[in-house]
Amino acid sequence: MPKQIMVVDDSSSMRQMVHFTLAGAGYDVVEAKDGAEALLKSTSQKVDLVITDLNMPVMDGIELTRQLRAAPAYRFIPIVMLTTESQQQKKLEGKAAGATGWIVKPFQIEQLLAVVKKVCP
Amino acid sequence: MDIGALQQRMREAFRVEATDLLAELDSSMLELESRPQDADLLNRVFRAIHTLKGSGATAGFMEMAAFTHHVEELFDEARLGQLTITPEMIDLSLQAKDLIGQLMESDNPVLLESACAGVVKALARFLPHRAKATSGDGAERVDGAPLRQRHRIFFRPNPEVFFSGTDPANLVEEMGALGEARVTAKVDGLPPLEELNPERCYLAWEVELLSLQPTSKIKEVFLFVEDESEIRIESQPAATVDERELADGLAAFLNIAGQSVEALGGFLTQLRDDPDTDSACRRNYLRILRSFHAAACHQGQQAHGVVLEEQIQLLEDALARGGPLSDKAKGRLLEGVQKLGLLVESLREGRSPAPASQTLVAEPSNVARLPSTPAVDGTKKDALRPPATIRVDQEKLDRLMRAAGELLVARNAFPILAKKLVLEHSLSGMGKEVKDAGDHISHIAEDLQAAVLSIRMMPIRTVFQRFPRMVRDICRAQEKEAELLLEGEDTELDKTVIEQMADPLVHLVRNAVDHGIELPAVRVQAGKPRTGKVTLRAYNKENNVVIEICDDGRGMDPVRLKQKAVEKGLITPAAAKAMDDRAALDLIFLPGLSTAEKVTDISGRGVGMDVVRSNLRQLHGTTTLESQMGKGSRITITLPASLMVSKGILVESEGEEYVFPIESVIEMVHLPRQRLHRHEGTHYASIRDRVYPVLRLGDHFASEPRSQAQAISWPEEVAIAIVQTDRDRVGVALDRFVSYVEVIVKPLGRDFANISAFQGATIMGDGRVALVINPSGFV
Repeated sequence: MPKQIMVVDDSSSMRQMVHFTLAGAGYDVVEAKDGAEALLKSTSQKVDLVITDLNMPVMDGIELTRQLRAAPAYRFIPIVMLTTESQQQKKLEGKAAGATGWIVKPFQIEQLLAVVKKVCP
Repeated sequence: MDIGALQQRMREAFRVEATDLLAELDSSMLELESRPQDADLLNRVFRAIHTLKGSGATAGFMEMAAFTHHVEELFDEARLGQLTITPEMIDLSLQAKDLIGQLMESDNPVLLESACAGVVKALARFLPHRAKATSGDGAERVDGAPLRQRHRIFFRPNPEVFFSGTDPANLVEEMGALGEARVTAKVDGLPPLEELNPERCYLAWEVELLSLQPTSKIKEVFLFVEDESEIRIESQPAATVDERELADGLAAFLNIAGQSVEALGGFLTQLRDDPDTDSACRRNYLRILRSFHAAACHQGQQAHGVVLEEQIQLLEDALARGGPLSDKAKGRLLEGVQKLGLLVESLREGRSPAPASQTLVAEPSNVARLPSTPAVDGTKKDALRPPATIRVDQEKLDRLMRAAGELLVARNAFPILAKKLVLEHSLSGMGKEVKDAGDHISHIAEDLQAAVLSIRMMPIRTVFQRFPRMVRDICRAQEKEAELLLEGEDTELDKTVIEQMADPLVHLVRNAVDHGIELPAVRVQAGKPRTGKVTLRAYNKENNVVIEICDDGRGMDPVRLKQKAVEKGLITPAAAKAMDDRAALDLIFLPGLSTAEKVTDISGRGVGMDVVRSNLRQLHGTTTLESQMGKGSRITITLPASLMVSKGILVESEGEEYVFPIESVIEMVHLPRQRLHRHEGTHYASIRDRVYPVLRLGDHFASEPRSQAQAISWPEEVAIAIVQTDRDRVGVALDRFVSYVEVIVKPLGRDFANISAFQGATIMGDGRVALVINPSGFV
């Protein structure tokens, strides 16, 4: 079964970019535009990896991480944060909330695929 | 995956999103000016800028992203409460926002460099204490030329490591893929069974790695866990290649190879006997293959490498497909193992017996297994249902529109066929059935059309929302004070109409402020409130949408307009004298007329109004102007609400059929011939206390000009359509009114585009062509 990856970001172009990249590498992709929508979708579909932006309206990436970790189905799921280089503080917060790793924006396609392969082989 | 095409797509997707973000920034920043402490607003603005930067950079717009970074800093500070936004900052930010838009559109962003530098400098003034942002996590530096090193790695992850979604076994495997690895699992941390918590990690690993990879690459494996784990890496350059080393290496390889082949054989037996092997077993198999492969590559054992690659691919594909392994796959795996066995044997035979020292190859064991996924959580979170919208390609919509419209016209065939059946074939029963079917289809077609048209309808707000900013900018530039009131922003118009309305509206609103609103001092002196008022109002009226632009400014002076027109040679002095005030106002629509004393760079050079009118005419809209000196002006634009299928009145004149657009027909009357009067070559009629000039359609469209003598005599009863043009209402005499029709107006084609009398032509239900008249163009 191909792995199912959920991409969470309020920027529609970012979601599209990540979606194309991952789909081209053989993954199934589900999109959500904020943490709340992500949680909703995670209850109805099985997700193997979550890639999430940090800064989103309604529910941000840190809160999403916390909530996912609190759900029995997703306690140990790999969660990767999309950060910018000026968000070191957020990165620490993310880790504290249980994030697995991070990708710094802007990123190259190969970087994204490498991290995905690393945390979700 | 074609990288180039992917990049293109990403850029396009980002451009679409950026347009929305920039528009949002416009209105948010303006709002922020009046509510600079609003945390919600500040966050919104910050997020929009943040997204522009992040997604823009990822899409490849590097200059834009770099510039945006500076604006982001300002708003980051603001939303953290470190500084308060002042109008000066808003000004600067709006400037920056414009530049961001330009940077995205420009083919050569370098040209905008100095403009950007200026803004950055100005922004820096507000952020003197901000340290320069460090440049990212730093690129990886390769430690010089690749050198074969022996690394000794100790890795003890944090016991809570599973809670960050990391599987340490993956990391060990990752290391293994970097070269030739001997892994030892340390189990000394394991508690007695009854104290064992399956969600904690009690293990550590020692790895001896022979690899060409630099230490930094090894460290990278632990990138996400290094902060919470115990990691020690000792690296020594492996001794230069010598015979013993070589022998050692080969011996080690043979060892690994032999053991791997054995292990693979064992697994295969398992697979054969028990087809329901779970994926962990398969993954282990894959692991063995991979380590074997790494070792083979490292030793330069090409033959082994090739077979192993094939096997790895085979198994990866099978895993991806899911489900049990097919017999064919199992067969191929068996073949592969046998081949490898043979290769190892032959390699061994060429060598002396393996050295005595045995090395331990310990499979890292997942003592703590991940809990299996329980059933999906039944409780649904239904409170958060966002509205569902889809972005649709315009072309697809157009196709749908066209089809719906053509269906509407095609349905007209049914009544005609029904009539034929009854009259020509005496099949009245059949005829009724056909008519009924036609009626049914008619209803569906109308429903479909309404639905499709509503898809294209958008609130006029999308065009209105740019105006507050524009008015503000003009006011600042001219030191005037004016407020813009918007009414009826929810009024809906076809998307194309809205898009084409944008430019004319911009002209008109600009004019209202630029020419209409006086300087504050002048206003006060005239007894008016200091702040001028410009109102932009939209509402529905029958089948039309009406847009009004009103201002309470100085109004237009008919006398001066006439003067200017005469000066520029646009009308003769005699005509000017004969003109009444109402007609004089219309002069403003003549090209080349501008009563501005100095040409401001904002409003242009008098090319505005005629372009506005012709633009609107193309949308089948009419423009009328009212004004009172000293009080203000009002421009009223009337547009048909929807584009595709137009409703009209079909008329006949001298054997030809024409269609008048319904919004232009005020009234249809029949007059006895006597009611027409002639005066200086023109006919007039008085209808309901209003005098209309009456023109004969036939005269206008005759193939040759007609002299008075040739003029066809009037019938007893004259059918007259009272028609609204840009300026006025006139009566158009025809032979007869035929019917009310719905038509798709198709343009005449480039060669005929200059004929202003017609909007286009249409094909009637029975296949004949009728020309659609543009009243403003032929009167």
